[in-house]
Amino acid sequence: MIDPGPIEKMTDEELAREARAGSRRSFEELALRYKRRLFVYFRPRLGSDQDAEDLVQETFLKLYRNIHNYDPAFRFSTWLYTSANRLAISSYRRKKIAVGRLGPEVADASADPAVRAAAGETRSTGLWDAARTLGRNQYRVLWLRYGEDLTIEEIAASIGKSRLAVRLLLHRARTNLMKRAGPAPGRAAATTKAAAVRETLLG
Amino acid sequence: MFCNLTRWLISRAEDRGKKMPRFAERHAAQCGACREYARFTTSLSARLSTETPEFLAKAPDSPWDPAAWAAEGAGRGTRAPLRRRFVLHPYPAAAAVLVVAASALVFFLVVRPGPGPGLTSAEKQEVIASLKSVTAVPAEFRGAIAEAESSLAKERLILENSVLSAVEYFQTRLNIRIERTKEAPKSL
Repeated sequence: MIDPGPIEKMTDEELAREARAGSRRSFEELALRYKRRLFVYFRPRLGSDQDAEDLVQETFLKLYRNIHNYDPAFRFSTWLYTSANRLAISSYRRKKIAVGRLGPEVADASADPAVRAAAGETRSTGLWDAARTLGRNQYRVLWLRYGEDLTIEEIAASIGKSRLAVRLLLHRARTNLMKRAGPAPGRAAATTKAAAVRETLLG
Repeated sequence: MFCNLTRWLISRAEDRGKKMPRFAERHAAQCGACREYARFTTSLSARLSTETPEFLAKAPDSPWDPAAWAAEGAGRGTRAPLRRRFVLHPYPAAAAVLVVAASALVFFLVVRPGPGPGLTSAEKQEVIASLKSVTAVPAEFRGAIAEAESSLAKERLILENSVLSAVEYFQTRLNIRIERTKEAPKSL
């Protein structure tokens, strides 16, 4: 059995290895670390908090069932988000069918990020709140890149797209996010244009 | 004109760590919007990382469904790990090679024998006589053929007589002479 102290210091991969060997506690620690992250990842794609919570729950159950398939040579987060994406796609299809039965107006309203933003869903002025109003794919890659610190290759593997497609989505996400959130603060003090460019591009 | 290209190159530099071309640097130095995009892109990582804990804190701390986890835990212990890759085990592979080698030996030594010992002349005569007796036409067949041929000859004779009488009739009736100029066809 693992002591309560070190389990919090263990890396995700170590915990996953323990969970694969049969430690339920290690898996619960992993679930604790990732449940909020998965929630914010799923939430913009789904209609309600409840749906997102259900999907988080479903994802962890699926991972627990298949933990013996985890390969420690890869990062745990990549494996987690790959499974999460697959589940989300099927769930989103089911949801789309269910919303489609309610009527096109309801479906359009729930899918449009601008309507969601106007309804007060993103009241905060934070960058992540602005990012949630982006298109589904743009928010996904933005979260995986900056929220989870995955590489372009890992994101491509997780969401099943090419590296070029991921880079294109990231580029669009940055462009749109700048339009919504405004320019970067704190750098206006750069005196000349040349100095500003040197500062930003060359570090 | 170069704004879109420059911004794409700025994104590429951020994602792949590649240096921007000089023309793009020059354009960014002169274009305020592209300069702003470059500043936003390079600061994005730090800004989003700073905001992530606060953003995550706003997510609900959903409780776990104990019933589902208990059910999973009950069924999980008996499940064996799945084999993901095809592995050629040495013992079955060696057994398969042995079987193939044994089959080849049996084929070459038993099924396909080499040239046997030669026959004597008396034995050869016996073999030829037995072959002739097998391939010879039976006597009853010969009788049947003769009967068939005799009935055909009778039929031919009757037909010839009919033709001759018809010729005689026409000669006397029409007062003409009909002569046989050449041999009748063999079929008649």
